[in-house]
Amino acid sequence: MPRLEQLAELTGHEDRVWCATWHPTKPILATCSGDKTVRIWQATNAQDPSKWQCTNVLEGGHKRTIRSVAWSPDGRQLATGSFDATTGIWERDEDENGDYECVATLEGHENETKSIAWSNSGALLATCSRDKSVWIWEVEEDNDFECLSVLQEHTQDVKMVAWHPTEELLASASYDDTIKIWKDDDDDWYCSDTLQGHESTVWAIDFAPSGDQIVSASADQTLKIWKRFPPGNPLGIVTPRRGEPVWKCVATVAGQHERCIYSVSWSKAHGLIASAGADNTIRLFEAIDARPEAPGVLVEIVAVAEAKEAHGTSDINSVAWYPSETHGDWLASGGDDGSVRIWRLVQ
Amino acid sequence: MTTLINQNPIIYEASAGHSTREWREEDDDENSADAIDAQEIFDLIRSISDPEHPLSLEQLNVTQRDHIQVSDENNSILVEFTPTIPHCSMATLIGLCIRVRLLRCLPSRFKVDISVRKGTHQSEHAVNKQLNDKERVAAALENSHLLEVVNQCLATAT
Repeated sequence: MPRLEQLAELTGHEDRVWCATWHPTKPILATCSGDKTVRIWQATNAQDPSKWQCTNVLEGGHKRTIRSVAWSPDGRQLATGSFDATTGIWERDEDENGDYECVATLEGHENETKSIAWSNSGALLATCSRDKSVWIWEVEEDNDFECLSVLQEHTQDVKMVAWHPTEELLASASYDDTIKIWKDDDDDWYCSDTLQGHESTVWAIDFAPSGDQIVSASADQTLKIWKRFPPGNPLGIVTPRRGEPVWKCVATVAGQHERCIYSVSWSKAHGLIASAGADNTIRLFEAIDARPEAPGVLVEIVAVAEAKEAHGTSDINSVAWYPSETHGDWLASGGDDGSVRIWRLVQ
Repeated sequence: MTTLINQNPIIYEASAGHSTREWREEDDDENSADAIDAQEIFDLIRSISDPEHPLSLEQLNVTQRDHIQVSDENNSILVEFTPTIPHCSMATLIGLCIRVRLLRCLPSRFKVDISVRKGTHQSEHAVNKQLNDKERVAAALENSHLLEVVNQCLATAT
């Protein structure tokens, strides 16, 4: 049976760790915390993932908790979303001492910024907030960011935003129990679908490697898999909006997590789903087509492995698979105990 | 003068002294594990002040020992409280005070759920959802004005 083996425990944050994010190409991890800092961690030797060091501490950019952190696709910039309502953009000064400095601050949200995400091309940045809105920013030259659109269709806090892995298509998850899909029609952003089915706050979402499925994690203690069906799909699934695909729930994972699920990560390297939350457990699942003759219509979720008390008795707020095959078996987690842990999937 | 939401609450008699616990045989045995129980949780929260009356949550019957469930073994606590009136706009603040009090006093291993007692508030679902959203709680505790109000209510907690 596959299992998760803990490789390293990284300590240094002085408050709960909210989010852990891998650099897109290097064995570097960024984590953020209630201690208002971001820490950058690097494996001292890529061959020995049990030894890590904190290479940078990003301080002073935010006055309140840093809720989320995201690398730009080229790995040159970091974005931070804070309870102080702003988004920070950080860059590493390669010439000087290798410190990160805050090169831009994006203002506009009325209160806590909860999540930020860069589009696949790096041309767009999305932010979301307790003010119920999602903002789309265009990344311009000289660290300039122009707000293209303010999307206000959620009726409650927006907890997370995630971009499709290849298309300019955004998903947002909310305290209003729904997920919304946003698209661009000649710089005019609109909501193309609303995914209803969760019975409480949707805390996290992630796209499948193909981009045709989304996994969502909720306070209702379930995970759901949603699949996109284009107009004229061979299965005859009705697409109510002219020309628009429709997203349908094809699987629900219930009875696995015993409390709120805060984070979910769909591995782009091997397709396993990792989830974690307030029940102190990291769980791994595989999504298998239950009807191979009709791919994706009915998905069966198989529990693959678990790590109980992965952060002792603390909530786990974040799990993240390493984004590429180089170290595809690595998983990072962050918890209320203030620690960051690196795990390896052992087959 | 501001109008009170509940101008004339019913006042109940509070149990005297620090603890309402009855003496148990194992209390004299220093080797017995001291498990946390409903009585202990009640003792932590009963003397919190109501945000709008100079009275304790126990005096207003907002908290009762029988409405607290504790599983020391499973590290879980459920505190149900009863707003004095069904449209009490202070319900989330009272719940937040209870949460902060327990956050400060209990070992971090405990998962605490706080909710208004079923059928005692017209926005029961919304209040419960907010009180148990850790992100909202964390953000609220970084709001210095709100924290000051919470600290005032907790100043009387013994």
